[in-house]
Amino acid sequence: MRSQVRFFLGCLFSIIFLSAGNVSSQESGILSGEILDVSNSAALPGANIYWENDVSTGVVADLDGKFQIKSVSLPARLVVSYIGYEKSIRTINQNDFNKPIRFFLKPEEMSLDEIIIMERRPDEQVKNLETGKSTIPMETIRNIPALFGEVDLLRSLQLLPGVKSAGEGTTGLFVRGGSNDQNLIQIDGAPVYNASHFFGFFSVFNPDALDQVELYKGNMPASFGGRLSSLIDVSLKEGNNEQIHGEGGIGTISSRLTVNGPLFSDKSTFVVSARRTYADVFLKLSNDEDLQNNKLNFHDLSGKFSFVLGGKDKLTISTYQGSDFLGLDESFGLGWSNWVSSAQWNRNISDKAFFDLQAYHSKYNYRVEFDDPDNGFEWKNKLSETGVKGQWTLLRGESLQTYWGFHSQYYHFAPIELVPASNSKISPISTNPKNGLLNNLFAGMTVEISPKLSTEAGLRWGFYNQVGNGVDYIYSTAQPESSEDITDSIEYNSLENIKFYQGLEPRIAFRYLINEQFSIKTAYNRNFQYVQIASNSSAGLPIDRWILAGTYVPPIRADQVSVGLFHNFDENRWEFSVEGYYKDFRNIIDLKNGANVLFNDNVETEILAGNGWAYGAEFLLRKNIGKTTGWLAYTWSRTWRKIEGISEGQAYNPRYDRPNDVTMVLNHEFSPSWSAGLTFVYTSGQAVSFPIGTYVADNQVLPVYSDLRNEDRYPNYHRMDASVTWKNADKGRKWHGSWNFSIYNLYGRKNPFAYEFRTIYNDNIKYDQETDGPIVSSKHGIVMTYLFTYLPSITYNFKF
Amino acid sequence: MKRLWIYLLTISLFSCQEEVDLPLAIIEGIVPVIEGTWTDQNAYNEIRISLAQNYFDTTNRQIISDALVFIMIPGTEKRIRFSYRPESLSFRSVNPREVAKVGETYQLVVEWQDNIYSSKGLMLEAPTVDSLTYEFQEERFFREEGYYIKVYGKIPFKEDNNYRIRVIENDTLKNDRDDYLLFDDTFGLTFFEEGLELGYAFDPGDRVGLELYRMNRDMFDYLSQLVNLLFSDGGLFSPPPQNPDSNIKVERGDTEVLGFFLVSPVLRENIFIKVNK
Repeated sequence: MRSQVRFFLGCLFSIIFLSAGNVSSQESGILSGEILDVSNSAALPGANIYWENDVSTGVVADLDGKFQIKSVSLPARLVVSYIGYEKSIRTINQNDFNKPIRFFLKPEEMSLDEIIIMERRPDEQVKNLETGKSTIPMETIRNIPALFGEVDLLRSLQLLPGVKSAGEGTTGLFVRGGSNDQNLIQIDGAPVYNASHFFGFFSVFNPDALDQVELYKGNMPASFGGRLSSLIDVSLKEGNNEQIHGEGGIGTISSRLTVNGPLFSDKSTFVVSARRTYADVFLKLSNDEDLQNNKLNFHDLSGKFSFVLGGKDKLTISTYQGSDFLGLDESFGLGWSNWVSSAQWNRNISDKAFFDLQAYHSKYNYRVEFDDPDNGFEWKNKLSETGVKGQWTLLRGESLQTYWGFHSQYYHFAPIELVPASNSKISPISTNPKNGLLNNLFAGMTVEISPKLSTEAGLRWGFYNQVGNGVDYIYSTAQPESSEDITDSIEYNSLENIKFYQGLEPRIAFRYLINEQFSIKTAYNRNFQYVQIASNSSAGLPIDRWILAGTYVPPIRADQVSVGLFHNFDENRWEFSVEGYYKDFRNIIDLKNGANVLFNDNVETEILAGNGWAYGAEFLLRKNIGKTTGWLAYTWSRTWRKIEGISEGQAYNPRYDRPNDVTMVLNHEFSPSWSAGLTFVYTSGQAVSFPIGTYVADNQVLPVYSDLRNEDRYPNYHRMDASVTWKNADKGRKWHGSWNFSIYNLYGRKNPFAYEFRTIYNDNIKYDQETDGPIVSSKHGIVMTYLFTYLPSITYNFKF
Repeated sequence: MKRLWIYLLTISLFSCQEEVDLPLAIIEGIVPVIEGTWTDQNAYNEIRISLAQNYFDTTNRQIISDALVFIMIPGTEKRIRFSYRPESLSFRSVNPREVAKVGETYQLVVEWQDNIYSSKGLMLEAPTVDSLTYEFQEERFFREEGYYIKVYGKIPFKEDNNYRIRVIENDTLKNDRDDYLLFDDTFGLTFFEEGLELGYAFDPGDRVGLELYRMNRDMFDYLSQLVNLLFSDGGLFSPPPQNPDSNIKVERGDTEVLGFFLVSPVLRENIFIKVNK
């Protein structure tokens, strides 16, 4: 269809073009040739061929891409042009007349993502019903200057308004006041429980393997649920059905390769993708023998297989596996991995009715090993979610779309097990398993009430059971405070109900079109979340303890109201939006002072529960079309928690409350070979607690902290990153290589990663008694740790 | 694990440190700090009272000497009086023969200015230490080459298994944040019977003293939180820093109070690392 359109346009263009000039005749010979697509050697019917100094002699390629053109005085420059392809100009000599000549045209440097944007209605943001939804084309993500040159999806999402980061370099997302575990991150519909590598510095997503990503900061459709704050819906690429293609890159710390193409026939395709770091290779080059024996790596593997079954059915199978490993001297090892798989069947029942069925399984596990003759152990844990989701969609004309379906999820949090080595003197530990069954029914519809007013309404109804097998404890106190208060315990058999919760989750949105370029939207949505991380650190760790809602831990709930103004101008080249929101959290948790949750079978005794709220305004000015693209965003927001037992019961800001947040992303294409990217980030400092004094206890000088949490702030954070990309346009017909040079933290800003409040001896923050002599002075000081100043990187990317 | 965190995080490869100044809030009012130790041995028994000071305050720490301090046994008329001793900068029992007895609950009371602070603790039975041995160990990951001491003993208790070992090497208390040897029964207690190895490499000729304390849970939690605080680097991977939860209450007055009241038996053992072993 697309080639037919191109042919038609090409012919039309040629007719107009040729009719504009006089046809000249020259009997000095006929040049014949063929016009092909460089990426797949497909013929390009309708391509225009003409002499540069005599445009009137132009011809059009036939259905096989072949042409014949009369020569002019030689040598002469022959021009070949075709819509959607870069123009090709070649100097023709007499020798070229001896044999047919082939022109391989290169598609214009316009990725699929850009095509999607162009195919997306230019006025989409004004006319659609979505609020709090953001997309970044994958090509834009690839052009954003990256830490270590590693293009990172989650770090790119941090550049959107309403999304905060935990701190320097980390990929954790804090969306509209929600914590990191309140994001539903899914690959082809299956959730990922730990989406980070290397303790959060990189995310698990290999950019070459991704098709698109959508971020819902609020008002997610009723077909999605289970997390309070956001949905990050990542789709893996599907393969093309014509011939094998690949892309990849060789970077500073990792390399990656993705191959896709037809599988068996043009009715089925495959994509396989791999990425691996090689930090451990560099460790072996170290002069330090201790470092040589260490291991430090992560990898990602993914695959997607699609099968078109007849005219109405399609089956897609996706899988992702990724893991990290940190090994120290053959004695200590820490590894963790995700394995996510899904299968999807799409059926077009008719032109207006569709059915989608999906099944998935997501598993996360970690393992800690210590090889020691006296105290050796193996400590491991895993959790999994298995789900089935079915959805029917019915279109009734332009003004009414409806959908409904079900979503069943089974959570299994395996016992945390610590198994001592054979001669180890420590005792084994095993907690009880936790299981949950969540069944959801959902339905929704989009109605165009009038040309100006549309609404999207949905309802999700969740039925949650904490189920056996497992153990529930009975406490002598109303709220569990200590394991010493346990009076009894009840054992439950497999799938036996322990605790039941149900909750209705309404979602509704309205859009009123003020004019063709200006709309106002408003939305309300409620979400319940039945799983969460019991942690009080801001950044996630691989050994974080996930807990399920149960007898003493109710599900957490969030209600969000948002309103936004959306405006396009300059013929939709520019988009502007401002959105405001208020969000109310219930039953959110924090941990007691010194809480131990890792090996605790009574986590409920370590938890404090309370409420929270967040509000803010997000401004976004964005340009998607042209040689210069990017956006400028500003967010003003506040986040509060109020939990009895913390901060004297008064409201406090979590660490990621950063009221002012400015981001600027710019990409500019100087020429077909050169392009550049620039990002700038400015945010308020993290909310933290600094000491107000010192005291001596147990022979230690200790800091004194206020009872009020996070009353202080880190200095404001700002950073600029830059990158330059050079593409070698002439390097082979099918091989497209490019070099990317980037610098993270261009002007070397020393943004604090941590402050230590400690005694400094002899005015030397690295004082060592063994090497620096006796102590002659001491004082209370502040030592700042900062990361990544002027961090350059280079990456070679290729496509074939 | 602590060394692991230091290692990982790229930080060792890509981080820098420097001393900085930050505007810090100051302490409003006064905050007394009480360190109470009440054991079955008089030499350990003392109550230290001082005041917390602002972070950058370089003056000498203020010691409180004019408080009324005593320990009472709730439900009885018995009061053990303490008086201030300038030589130790602490309050010590007026009658040195008064020490903690197993099974008794003691209540520390400190009256200073218009404020009254108190704390209770139960004196628990001490476990048994049968012997100390030492053996030369080759260098291994996480530890150096040297002589390692093992403590053999029995812990027959089903409750209140909260212990601390303090190590004194050649008359110097090991007092870094790594030196808090705290253990409870989370990982079982059989390792104590089979020989609890102290994580220090000693040299021949070292005189090593060990003190074993068995304490109430609130005191154990206090020390655990204190250690957490000493290791807190204020970064993303640390929980928000908080003062350790004191087991001392303000009975009267509106000041805060910091510190602890430790009621514990003390088992002291010594060993000499011989050169020729």
